[in-house]
Amino acid sequence: MIAVQSLTKRFGSTIAVDDLSFEVRPGTVLGFLGPNGAGKTTTLRALLGLAAPSAGFATIDGRRYRDLQEPIRTVGAMLEGVAFHPGRSARNHLRALSVAAGIPATRAAEVLQLVGLAEVADKRVKTYSLGMRQRLALAAALLGDPAVLVLDEPANGLDPLGIRWLRDFLRAQAADGRTVLVSSHVLSEMAQTADEVVVIDHGRLIADATVAELTRRAGAAVRVRSPDAARLAELLAAANLAAESAGPERLTVRGAPSSAIGQIAAEHGIAIHEMTDEARTLEDVFLELTGPPGGRPQ
Amino acid sequence: MSRLVAAELLKLRTTRTFVVIVAVSLGLVALASVLALALGHFESQVDVASVLSNSGSAGLLILILGVIGMAGEYRHGTIGPTFLVTPARWRVVVAKAAAYALAGLAVGLAATLLGAVIALPWLSAKGVDVSLSGADLSRIFFGGLLYSAVSGAMGVGLGALMRNQIAAVVVVFVVLFIADPLVSGAFSDYGKYSPSGVSLALTTLGAQDGAPFEEIVPFWAAALLYCGYAASLVGSGILLVTRRDVL
Repeated sequence: MIAVQSLTKRFGSTIAVDDLSFEVRPGTVLGFLGPNGAGKTTTLRALLGLAAPSAGFATIDGRRYRDLQEPIRTVGAMLEGVAFHPGRSARNHLRALSVAAGIPATRAAEVLQLVGLAEVADKRVKTYSLGMRQRLALAAALLGDPAVLVLDEPANGLDPLGIRWLRDFLRAQAADGRTVLVSSHVLSEMAQTADEVVVIDHGRLIADATVAELTRRAGAAVRVRSPDAARLAELLAAANLAAESAGPERLTVRGAPSSAIGQIAAEHGIAIHEMTDEARTLEDVFLELTGPPGGRPQ
Repeated sequence: MSRLVAAELLKLRTTRTFVVIVAVSLGLVALASVLALALGHFESQVDVASVLSNSGSAGLLILILGVIGMAGEYRHGTIGPTFLVTPARWRVVVAKAAAYALAGLAVGLAATLLGAVIALPWLSAKGVDVSLSGADLSRIFFGGLLYSAVSGAMGVGLGALMRNQIAAVVVVFVVLFIADPLVSGAFSDYGKYSPSGVSLALTTLGAQDGAPFEEIVPFWAAALLYCGYAASLVGSGILLVTRRDVL
């Protein structure tokens, strides 16, 4: 169980995290979302005892990170960015962490196997691609076989196969009863991974919901192409269905299944050239929640 | 704590930095010995002691090794994972200081032995009588080892204090080669208590002609002072490392 309570972090006059509270329960994957610079990394660093909160606190199983008896056997963390000595091999990086934590040396080989780096384990990290470094960081998080995982942007630099592997892996971890907190600035990455999402922007909580709720909030839309679009729009309006023009001969209809639209068109002899169900993506909801993308340089 | 020291020694062994620093240290010792033996005049046992005392040049490199060992963790971002394993950050700094002191001891020992292997046959071939007393010999031997070992810990302290390894190395050079001689010129008493003066007192039997410091403090005072300098750097490094966020 991860609990973040009224967490605030200021850097000078800038508020990076602003009175943020949320929880992650065992057996769930929580997607921690926000645009770049929203305060996700600062929140995770405060949770992991690397940054001191200005107010509030964050706990793991009721304890602050620094009060954990065996921290890396309790929490496996993957920090943002590359955190390796370029001249050290993956195996030696993990061995050094294992020795410090009193974890048997055989465990390093196990986690390297698990993340698919066993073959290149003795190569120096500077020869690794970004995706391989991410896998190594994940291997380090798994060293202590922890019940809680805190991963900051683990999908960065992974290829589609790697992202899929990560998704299955995180689902399996949650199915085993582990608590998984995973940050991302790409909501679609989380759609199939997370059970719940917490969205923040400018350090403030703007949504704390299940993925299903967010998808419902997104609502579905149907795109229709018809030579008689204007008349169809009137008929739909008469049936209390909101249709907006989306260009010549095109309509976007919200809140109605395509069958209902097709029925109305058929009853009035209107030709339909194309009709496409368009689930508004979570990405759209995300952008709506976090404001227009033009507002920031990203 | 022994686990942490072992982990630090493993980290030290698993990059090329250590190998390069050891090779450069021993190379410098060999070069300095050969030059001193080829060009020097050996008129007194102080001169003989000075050619046998080789930890001085190794010590500076060990100091830099310690700086890189600590500040390098910030540079490469490995400080994050290190503190995740050991959230009590003072333990990390203390373990690192101990590990680099051990490494310094090993390098100092190798440098001393290498210097002796070069100098003793050469001196005897030159017909120079080596008649240092056992006390003098053990003083330069143990003084050199103490200097090398404490330099490693001192480097870790400085690295923790500065975090930026380039800046920390620049500080080392500025203090030893600019500040110490300048301040000693202005306040003659400063010289013997300065880091440079103290290291001279630890590694030689007395000031030679042309040395920047005419006077040296007694050996025990030098040992105490040098350990004190290292301890205050490590201590203030711990205070800063503990307070600063790792971002």
